[in-house]
Amino acid sequence: MTSFTITLANQGGAAFDVDHRKPLLQSLREQGVDLPYGCKYGGCITCAAKIISGKVSQKAQRALNNRQINNGYIILCVARPMSDCTLEVGVESHDKLYRNPFLDPLAAHELKADIATPLEAKK
Amino acid sequence: MTNHCCGPGYASPAEAMRAPREKLLYTIAIYTGTGIQKPDYLCTIDVDPESSTYSQVVSRLQMPGIGDELHHMGWNACSSCHGNASMERRYLIVPGVRSTNLHIVDCATDPRNPTLFKVIDGAEIKTRTNLSAPHTVHCLGSDIIISMLGDAQGNAPGGYLQLNKEFEIVGRWENSMGSIKFGYDFWYQPRHNVMVSSEWAAPNTFMPGFDLEEVGHLKYGREIHFWDFETKEPKQTFYLGEDGLLPLEVRFHHNPDSSHGFVGAALSANIIHWWKDPAGDWQWEKIVDVGNEPHPEWPIPIPGVISVILLSMDDRYLYLCNWLHGDIRQYDISDPHNAKLTGQVWMGGLLGRAPEVNGVKVTGGPQMIQLSLDGKRLYVTTSLFSTWDNQFYPEIRTNGGCMLMVNCDTENGGMEIDPRYVVDFGKEPNGPSRCHETRYPGGDCTSDIWV
Repeated sequence: MTSFTITLANQGGAAFDVDHRKPLLQSLREQGVDLPYGCKYGGCITCAAKIISGKVSQKAQRALNNRQINNGYIILCVARPMSDCTLEVGVESHDKLYRNPFLDPLAAHELKADIATPLEAKK
Repeated sequence: MTNHCCGPGYASPAEAMRAPREKLLYTIAIYTGTGIQKPDYLCTIDVDPESSTYSQVVSRLQMPGIGDELHHMGWNACSSCHGNASMERRYLIVPGVRSTNLHIVDCATDPRNPTLFKVIDGAEIKTRTNLSAPHTVHCLGSDIIISMLGDAQGNAPGGYLQLNKEFEIVGRWENSMGSIKFGYDFWYQPRHNVMVSSEWAAPNTFMPGFDLEEVGHLKYGREIHFWDFETKEPKQTFYLGEDGLLPLEVRFHHNPDSSHGFVGAALSANIIHWWKDPAGDWQWEKIVDVGNEPHPEWPIPIPGVISVILLSMDDRYLYLCNWLHGDIRQYDISDPHNAKLTGQVWMGGLLGRAPEVNGVKVTGGPQMIQLSLDGKRLYVTTSLFSTWDNQFYPEIRTNGGCMLMVNCDTENGGMEIDPRYVVDFGKEPNGPSRCHETRYPGGDCTSDIWV
């Protein structure tokens, strides 16, 4: 198996070797990391974490809008690692996850992927 | 007089109103999304004013795992089973919206200390029925159906999960979802062979939080649906348009002969009324329009966001909560075409009218309500949904939610917050939690239906 090292920056730099084929939530919980989660299908945002370095594949996620993705958020229940990664996990990492939608609206390119207008497509 | 020869509930709404006063409440409280790694739980709250533990949580039943987001719940049996002596109102079905787990809780063996009877695993429900995100629970006189807001991947429209009275999965209840785009709440009125369902959004849309722009992209509901209850198929849809953005709680009159019903459109902050006209056709109209309110720091006025509505057992009063404004309103709907505002109280909210009540800082706004069977006591909680709380009232993470009680004048109209009653969920033993829906052991104003 290909394995990568996941470092949890806000849990004292604890590091875990994980299988690249498994979602990060599953791998980390199997190694005793206590993480929040909800739906387990990538739709509910409860397990969101912030990626500080590294790369993941999270094609199955439906919860994040493009602003949240640009702010580094990933959905651990469906994200699989593509390299060694350093993450901030749990609600402590959610400082930029929630915003008042009336006070801080999204631009067209910041919506969820299925309805966003790509920046380059705009005149 | 309750007829003890019969099944659960009451022979009629009028009989329900004469039932003994509620002494216990069951209210869910959540840690999902709060940063506290503990399971959500069902609280039992003492509401007997003669008791030494009045206005306190007297027991807590933790769910087996974390991350459920307990939300709404329902009884295994209600007045729809009144004619069946073999049925008993014994179990609360307590779903987890996020996990899809269904918790069956025995509230009858020891009403002050409910116990977990059974769990139907969310993964099994997803595998067997391709449904997820359970919301409203209604008993159908024997079996139970639950509105499920998504498919097994969180896409709309979902459907209806049917359980038998042993809490085994029967399968999908509906024969067709027709062209329905979204699910949420539902209520049935069997003498008119009708069920009405409303629309929130796909779980993948509403669970992560509220992106206002998604309303314009038609990711949120604006229709209500009239079903043929016997053939289990939608027959007619009303497009409510801008008047009906996010139609949530559905309430028929308790009177089983009446065709009148109501839905609260959360974002439009309107009450929509429907009825069957003399020709037998369904009609609808808007009867309440809560205006947006200016706020010094907001670029646009704040909508009320009507998160819940409820009818008194005698169908005379309609109550609604404006979760963002912070008020609860009482309307006399004796003439359902002409709602008259008869009472209003304030707690929390973004307008700052009542930041503290009974010595507790109210974080959130009036959100979920339950009315006593006699119509005189309205119990109110302040948390809507973990992710939406986090957007609009982020201080709720450290303050928790709270429960208050409002005394309602059923003769002349009017409401007053009871000065003796407050449950501060900011002081829970495992840390601040958030309280949502409430039910009473003997049935309440949002559970019982007469066939």
